[in-house]
Amino acid sequence: MKAKFLARAMLAAAALAISAVQSNAADIAVISGSAEDAFFNPIKRGVDDAATLIESHGGKVTYLTVPNYDNFGPDLARLIATAISQNVQGIAIPVWVPEAQMPALQEAAEKGIRIMLYNTRTSGPDDQIAINYFGTDEAVAGKAGGDYFAGSGAKKILCVIHVPGAVNLETRCDGVEEGATAGGAEIVRLPLPASIQSNMAATSEAIKAELLKDQTLDVVLTLNAQTSDAAAMAIEQAGAAGKVRLGTFDLSTSVLDRIKAGAQAMAIDQQPYLQSFLATTLLANNIDYGMELATNPILTGPAIIDASNIEAALNGVTSGVR
Amino acid sequence: MAAPPILSLVNVSKSFGPIDVLHEISLDIRAGEVLCLLGDNGAGKSTLIRILSGVHQPSAGSILFEGRPTTFENPRAAADRGIATVHQFGGTFPLMTIGRSFFVGMEPTKGWGPFKVFDRRKANEIAVKAVRDFGITRIVDGDRLVGGLSGGERQSLAIARAVHFGAKVLILDEPTAALGVKQAAHVLRIVNEAKRRGLAVVFITHQVMHAMAVGDHFAVLIRGTVAADFRKGEKTREEITDLMAGGEVMADLEARIEVD
Amino acid sequence: MGDRSSADGLLGHTGSRAGRATAPNASKLQVGILMRRPETGAFLGMIFVAVFFTVFGGWLFVSPQGIASWLNVAAILGIIAVPIGFLMIAGELDISIGAMVPAASMCIGVLSGYYGLPVAVGIFVTLAFGAVVGLINGLMVVRTAVPSLIVTMGTLFAVAGLMLFLSIVLTSTTSVSMTAPAWAKAIFGSTIGYGFQVMIFWWLGLTALFYFFLHLSPWGNWLFALGGDRVSARNAGIPVDRLTVGLFILSSMSAAFVGMCQTILYNSAQVSTGQSFIFNTIISVVIGGVLLTGGFGSVLGIFFGTITFAIVNQGIFYTDFDRNLSSLIIGVMLLIAVLMNNTFRQMALSYTGKRRSGGR
Repeated sequence: MKAKFLARAMLAAAALAISAVQSNAADIAVISGSAEDAFFNPIKRGVDDAATLIESHGGKVTYLTVPNYDNFGPDLARLIATAISQNVQGIAIPVWVPEAQMPALQEAAEKGIRIMLYNTRTSGPDDQIAINYFGTDEAVAGKAGGDYFAGSGAKKILCVIHVPGAVNLETRCDGVEEGATAGGAEIVRLPLPASIQSNMAATSEAIKAELLKDQTLDVVLTLNAQTSDAAAMAIEQAGAAGKVRLGTFDLSTSVLDRIKAGAQAMAIDQQPYLQSFLATTLLANNIDYGMELATNPILTGPAIIDASNIEAALNGVTSGVR
Repeated sequence: MAAPPILSLVNVSKSFGPIDVLHEISLDIRAGEVLCLLGDNGAGKSTLIRILSGVHQPSAGSILFEGRPTTFENPRAAADRGIATVHQFGGTFPLMTIGRSFFVGMEPTKGWGPFKVFDRRKANEIAVKAVRDFGITRIVDGDRLVGGLSGGERQSLAIARAVHFGAKVLILDEPTAALGVKQAAHVLRIVNEAKRRGLAVVFITHQVMHAMAVGDHFAVLIRGTVAADFRKGEKTREEITDLMAGGEVMADLEARIEVD
Repeated sequence: MGDRSSADGLLGHTGSRAGRATAPNASKLQVGILMRRPETGAFLGMIFVAVFFTVFGGWLFVSPQGIASWLNVAAILGIIAVPIGFLMIAGELDISIGAMVPAASMCIGVLSGYYGLPVAVGIFVTLAFGAVVGLINGLMVVRTAVPSLIVTMGTLFAVAGLMLFLSIVLTSTTSVSMTAPAWAKAIFGSTIGYGFQVMIFWWLGLTALFYFFLHLSPWGNWLFALGGDRVSARNAGIPVDRLTVGLFILSSMSAAFVGMCQTILYNSAQVSTGQSFIFNTIISVVIGGVLLTGGFGSVLGIFFGTITFAIVNQGIFYTDFDRNLSSLIIGVMLLIAVLMNNTFRQMALSYTGKRRSGGR
């Protein structure tokens, strides 16, 4: 059902793209996350591809990023102000810090700038100022992971939270729990203390300890790709290869290599390329021709990559879109 | 004295920007003699020491070492000529052992090639012996930390170290200032011992008593100039005290007149 | 003068450090002497946390796999902690290692993984990169009056930024995968037995080398003198600038070595921040009894301190405590370890007694 939904959105976007003709010139700003975060590489690629299309019709796309996450809210508000001052016609942006971003976005909307949301939103009434939303729902994505493992016989899932307290990560685990319990499995959460974060060996040994201590665990689900690398080593060292399956949110080359080699069961992809590509394209066509999509929101994930579709996914990675 | 001076200052002046700290200082320092440099705080004693030990260079005038004009570009150059400075607190390393701190920079080693090992036993033995030769019999264990020694013992250790490594001129910066009577007597004995061994000693102090006990030659420094230069026996203790105090009063007076 | 007052506070006035078997008549091993060694506090802290987690973690914690768990973490930390300890003894700090570990990880990953160059080239360039960053740190510290904390904070961000930029420009991604040949894995990144990483042997070997450097070779004396009083050390003829630069190169290269080995072991590398390495190494060094003010410390102490930290950090996962309390328990255990060590060090250093009449 998800796939059909997505296919429809894709078709719509493609149709919109083809119908664009040179006479109009949408001027768009796309605001995004730090380039330091690998996650935003396919996002940027999506914007770049959309920009090629839009620019060939005389439009203009400006890509703005926050330098890091240290001063996240104010940085985002500042970028919105920058976009307003450049007299753009549309802004595509994720809503990560509503308190900081919403007043600035309201101001933009009052000046007649069209807003398109992607990747993250608040799901509150404030979102109504936006034309549409291309993104994911952490709870839905988590549930898909829970469904996947519970549906294939898992009984006890370890959900590794690499930054305890981060709302989106906790929501993912909540979703996993929902899907797992529905399928008759239980989940255990493992929040990693700060002294372990970004230390591969310490993360790996922590997961190994949990596996040794609780022999009934049969799935490790990590919430980002780096933790997944550590978890793969942990499963091997705990002597649990073949018994404990590994899944993760987000992709990396090493995750895909493991799926291909059979050392990892799956990865949950929210297909960020589609989020930014579709959001940017639709925004341009809305500005130029008033086009809209009937469905709102449009979820670009979760898409599950496992042994059945790994080859295609690898092609996507090679091309920089996954 | 007949012996030529080992170190002489000839009309040495030092100014930092517009401020004149030392003004045309001339002094002779001889082997086997103790030169006492007297003066109150701010008289320019510290600056004079720094010039002698190569930290500062004179703005004018010259330094003669063994009769030849010399410049000490840095403390290392002065140390190479055998000028050793011992500071108020011994200038050593409180958290190091006696043996280790004694040989800092000149470690005795045993073994060969890259496996040369610091010879702790030898270092400790030499250090303890050198200090005991100066009459500090309380120090027997070279593994004790320097920080655990008394102030007098630390001074003694530093002086013994300088002598052991062939110092010709020993500059002692207020060695007795922070010490009690007994400890101070200790240090004064060691100053005498260094003199007996033929070193030239520059003894900086503002305590006339201590100076009188060991000095052969005295210079009173007031506001950057040598206010008096005399030999042992030429002046009584009261005269020297008066000189230091009177000079101070005079200088104060002059300063006031200048302001007016 | 600052030195003196801190030393007096620490030592009392008649302190005696009866350390390593000393003066002629002390050659026979005495329990009393052992108790007064500077490492004893760190050692007891380690025993304390080991017993604590054996009690609450059960047999699994002391099983071979459990031991491998904290030894692996200690090895990775320990290789960086001792050079950081050297810098702290010298009165300096190097926090750029926080960027150096992931940067080195990316460096070899990009060269030997993405571009497929021979792994030996990747290793060489990575270590050379570490040496260059250390050289820059060291030169800036000795040539300017800027404190090393600030200098290395600058290089921390600079290295992180450079790595991000290069990785995006060269590979258009921020994570790469790499499969090292068997020989490289065997030497730098593999596990043996019950999951013991070969890093443990590197750690033990390097610790022995560092022990030689600090406690046996004459250079160790220079290092203590440098940390005790930089000016006096220079006047005593010690090449303090070269020594300082050398120490920064050592710490940077050790961080690069660890980052490199991690890529070989985990077959992947990503641009990330290694902030936890900064705090974890400094904590290990302090637990190990190195004074934050410099001039005092021992390699064995740092060794025990690193193990203590690793036990606390990983032991928690063998217990049944609520996982949300992990940070709290880690914090409390580390404080207890440091306090035990401090108490013992003070007892050791302020000891006055029969040894007064030794060596006659």
